[in-house]
Amino acid sequence: MDGSLLFQSLVLGILLGGLYALLAAGLTLYFGIMRVVMIAHSAFLILAAYLAWWFHRETGIDPLLSLFVTVPLFFAVGVLMQRLLVARLRPVTLTMMSVLLTFAIALTIEGLLGFVFSGTQRRIQLGYSGESIEVFGAHVAVVKLITFGLAAASLAALYVIMKYTKFGQSLRATIQHKEAAQLVGIKTDRVAGYGFGLGLATAAIGGTALSLDATIYPSLHWHWIGPLMAIIVVGGLGSIPGAAIAAMVLGIGQSLLQIPMGTTWAQTIFYVALFATLMLRPQGFFGGRLAQRF
Amino acid sequence: MLNASDRLSVSKAFVAKVVVFAACAAALLTFPSWAANPYILSAGVVVLSYAVLSTSWNFVGGFTGYISLGHAAFFGLGAYGTALLITKLDLSSFVAWFLAGVGVALFAIPVGWAALRVRGASFVIVSIALVLIMLLVFQSWSDFTGGSNGLVVPRPFPDMLRPEHHETFFYLFAALLAVTLLCWWLIDRSRFGMGLKAIREDEDKAEALGIPTYSYKLVVYVVSAFFTALGGGMYALWFGDLDPVFQFSILIGSYMVLMALLGGVRQLYGPLLGALIVGTALEYFKLEFGDTQFHLVATGLLLGIVVLFMPDGIIPAGMKLVDRFTPERSSIREMTAAELLERDQSESSERAGRHASTPSDPEPSTTEKAKR
Repeated sequence: MDGSLLFQSLVLGILLGGLYALLAAGLTLYFGIMRVVMIAHSAFLILAAYLAWWFHRETGIDPLLSLFVTVPLFFAVGVLMQRLLVARLRPVTLTMMSVLLTFAIALTIEGLLGFVFSGTQRRIQLGYSGESIEVFGAHVAVVKLITFGLAAASLAALYVIMKYTKFGQSLRATIQHKEAAQLVGIKTDRVAGYGFGLGLATAAIGGTALSLDATIYPSLHWHWIGPLMAIIVVGGLGSIPGAAIAAMVLGIGQSLLQIPMGTTWAQTIFYVALFATLMLRPQGFFGGRLAQRF
Repeated sequence: MLNASDRLSVSKAFVAKVVVFAACAAALLTFPSWAANPYILSAGVVVLSYAVLSTSWNFVGGFTGYISLGHAAFFGLGAYGTALLITKLDLSSFVAWFLAGVGVALFAIPVGWAALRVRGASFVIVSIALVLIMLLVFQSWSDFTGGSNGLVVPRPFPDMLRPEHHETFFYLFAALLAVTLLCWWLIDRSRFGMGLKAIREDEDKAEALGIPTYSYKLVVYVVSAFFTALGGGMYALWFGDLDPVFQFSILIGSYMVLMALLGGVRQLYGPLLGALIVGTALEYFKLEFGDTQFHLVATGLLLGIVVLFMPDGIIPAGMKLVDRFTPERSSIREMTAAELLERDQSESSERAGRHASTPSDPEPSTTEKAKR
């Protein structure tokens, strides 16, 4: 194995890890706010990718511009989903039942995608699809760079929102201690709804980015949900930095392992990491006290 | 007086139960003779196999409340184990079937050991991951498992015609279902089952009361995996052709959950009833809409409705509806400890005769019984 190949994989791994980090951040957000494990996250990811593909096919404009529609749309869907569906579940069994509920949503989305767009594999062909630039001897496709750029920008935006806006403060307060947040006058229900919308908006961005670079089909989301779930457990449920670090480490690991093992077996790294985490540190490597209990 | 009428009503309920049970069992067992054609019969076999699977799932889901979306892993392993033992080791069909079940149960020990260390959401994630791993392994390792080309299972009864074959397997599945139900019923009535249900209600309190929660969960997880694998192996022997995409499908796992939840996870016959409804509907959708993804939408919507509106299932919902039309009963649980104490005191002083403030309570309370 020569150095340039290794370096190439490393760069690709970092780029992939960025996308994983963004999506895992969304998942962590839902979990933090509502103790909800959102199985449908990756289904929405694929839905956004399909919308970008459809937008491109119908209008011929760059699919990235579909973001201006899908992000607000997904935000609204997220708010509605939290207010109308998730909030209705009984608090005692919320975590378990929310898994089933979001699983049901994922199945419905997959079925509808297959129904409307058929099961055919789709791919967007763009002028710059085949182009790549050279970074220190590694060839990196432009679309992968765009994907990473989008993911990094959205993560940064998420960080700024969470850290410096009033809404972000009340969201963090809701995550930390709901009753206390209510006591200081935060409308936690409303904030939770917006937080949910924010999480789903990450799926819109991730899906659009994914559509540039990947062949999409309705059942693709199962290939994403496994790694994403593994990432948030390894990172510790509820910890955004944990999820981001785990996403980077596992993304790079997957990319490097592809050289000796091939793409299919390289995916097992997520599951190996998942089981190793459960054996060694069931609460995850960065998570707090929340994780094991839920 | 009270006791006599009480006993009468109990025996009436018992007779009704026996009659209903006998009628259902008779309807089930004579199904092959009144099924219109072999296709209907094969659909019946599929529904029964679903019933076996979701009853097996209910060992974990019903007793402990741990929802596993990944039982398809045990189903697929049972099926592939049976097939591989027959083809690679030349074992006879049913020996291979049983050995595969035992093998999967052994495999479930380390899996459960890891998975049951976490609760709730993490457990569900691990269970989904298990199916995805198995799918990956069985697809990639194609020189051993046949990969996506599929694996043909030798028929156990090579000289049988197709309708006869369906009929035989209908009875085999029915027998397996009966054993599974019996086992669930036995656990339900045992001290072990009591401990498991305590875990479902409140794991921390159960542990504080001295229940070895971890080993209880592990044992029931292994039992559940064993029966699921037997169901899978039987399916392999019947269907005769395996493909990783279908055996290790998350959908199969979600069907088990949906059926059990729909029927009611706390009821012995809940998963069976759910399997009858969902299984029949699925076969119908596949027949009517064929290759479209419509059955996914239908499954998703149904699961969503069940989770949102009747998470306890049809049987409890139905019983509530029946209760609404029967005279009101109040159980001991609906009274606070203070009320009970007050009643007991007044009863012991008044000898229960003129105490008319709780006429709606026909049963002597347990505290009273204990006093006598």
